[in-house]
Amino acid sequence: MKSRYLVGIGNYSMGDDGIGLRIAEHIAQAKLNSDFDVIEIGNHGLDLLSYLNEDVEKMLWVDCVPTGRAPGETIFFAPEDVESVKKLSGSEGVSPTTHEGDMLQILNLARSLGQHIPKIRVMGIEPEIVAPQMVLSKTLEARFPELVNEAIRQIRDESW
Amino acid sequence: MKNNNKDIKINVHHVTRVEGHGNIVVNVTNGKIEKCEWQVPESPRFFEAMIRGRHYSEVARVVSRICGICSVGHTLASVKASEAALGIKVTPQTAKLRSLIKHAENFDSHIVHVLFLAAPDLLGAPSVFPLVPTHGETVKRALRLKRFGHEWGSIIGGRTTHPTRIVPGGFTELPTKQELETLRKRFDTEVLPDVTAILELVMALREKFPKFDRPTEYIAAHDEKEYGMYDGVIQSTMFDSNGKETKQTYDVERYRDCTNEYIVPQSTAKYAKNKADSYMVGALARFNNNHRQLRPEARALAEKLGLKAPCYNPYLNSVAQVVEAVHSAYEGVRLIDELLRDGIKEEKLVAPTKFGTGSGLTEVPRGILFHHYSYDKDGICTGGDCIIPTNQNHANIQRDFEALVPKMLADGRSEKEMELHLEMLVRAYDPCISCSTHYLDVQFKK
Repeated sequence: MKSRYLVGIGNYSMGDDGIGLRIAEHIAQAKLNSDFDVIEIGNHGLDLLSYLNEDVEKMLWVDCVPTGRAPGETIFFAPEDVESVKKLSGSEGVSPTTHEGDMLQILNLARSLGQHIPKIRVMGIEPEIVAPQMVLSKTLEARFPELVNEAIRQIRDESW
Repeated sequence: MKNNNKDIKINVHHVTRVEGHGNIVVNVTNGKIEKCEWQVPESPRFFEAMIRGRHYSEVARVVSRICGICSVGHTLASVKASEAALGIKVTPQTAKLRSLIKHAENFDSHIVHVLFLAAPDLLGAPSVFPLVPTHGETVKRALRLKRFGHEWGSIIGGRTTHPTRIVPGGFTELPTKQELETLRKRFDTEVLPDVTAILELVMALREKFPKFDRPTEYIAAHDEKEYGMYDGVIQSTMFDSNGKETKQTYDVERYRDCTNEYIVPQSTAKYAKNKADSYMVGALARFNNNHRQLRPEARALAEKLGLKAPCYNPYLNSVAQVVEAVHSAYEGVRLIDELLRDGIKEEKLVAPTKFGTGSGLTEVPRGILFHHYSYDKDGICTGGDCIIPTNQNHANIQRDFEALVPKMLADGRSEKEMELHLEMLVRAYDPCISCSTHYLDVQFKK
């Protein structure tokens, strides 16, 4: 049977940027993932490449995605629906460092190398605070339980 | 043409292909150097405050978040410091498994740094992406090796990033015999062929590393039994003009005597110094301290690559990383063979025998790492101190700048060449400064 992965993405040290990581960690610690696997992609963005293969049915990326909605609101999309406008350091705008992440760039690298890309859905969570702090904003903290439930519901959704 | 009367203005905001944010600022007017700085504008993250009030069983999990690249190293330094404070002596099997995962982290990180972050400079590319059409097979091999390093660590630690099984007193869960056997086979079938193929590229690039020698003090863990990585004492090595070594060792409890952190105006990160006014940690420092204890395969590779102790060229830190990656691969094979030969045994966690103060060290890819904690009678942390390798290197990078910029001016280097060489120098140290954000910043196509 092929694997399903819930992928938590983010940085603990940058407030709401860590929401994806915290959701993934919570699900794994509470053992709420009997029918799917949980991985965290923090600073090692290239680790994603280890999970892009034929044995994987689908992935749910849980990440902070600022789009101007109210903090804590979610948006769902596939990587093909969007293009990255993230400014990475360096004038070339290409910087696959292990700390400075753009998962869409890593996905493009995988495509260019001919790796198998499973079905991917992004669960984007609107942040309130993306700044150096080791805790979530109060808004996201309050909505944390419902975000955890939504992430589980999404990875179990058989319609995609 | 010399730059004696030239004006040079280099202002690199956030050097690319390093972990975190650092700036390079050089101002030269009429050939006179007015400013030459390595600046680190990172924010403090207060991990030492966060662990206060937490039980000893929680501390390693919290501090492993200091870094996602070196989270194994932070976990190991943390549990070792806690074990020293709690009077815990771990079993030989635990020490062996920890050493095995340490090599996994070193292998993984060095592969990423050399092949994804440093190699593009030598191939004249801004990043790894333009190399896919021209060096696609090498990029694929590099990614396979990176993936192997990740999976190697996950088998031992439960996961490589922020490992879950390593706790004070031992492991909460052990790898199975079958997992170790599969891992062992993959060294022969996957890793060694890919490493051999990639070394051909490294050999072809070895002449492209800039020539720049500046002797400094080199500090690394030293272990009588093996090349210092998981354990050992602190060792400082300096060389005189004839290359003769002067060594001094310090027990880990004396780590503050040789780190001597201090504050400078240009950087929010602390600097460090010991006997000289700066020192270097990392792969080259380990090589200069412990090269005689490398695996024969790694020693032979060092010779082939022209890396010889004492080596004063910081650019060759990347070459030392290649040598260490090979060392770690062969050490991985040795440790797995020994674990399989002895059989993996279930062991209870070793319990505390006291509650006090203790220090721990380990080598992480970027250099020697220290953790220090105090616990009260209930095992609650009352204070901590973490000294990371990148901070220990900042002063040395600054001193390198101060020597390199006049040399490049005298050599008649253009502003663009100077900028590239300074960036390459920073990248050679493989600094891990602070964390940037990982959020997706996107616009919808429709």
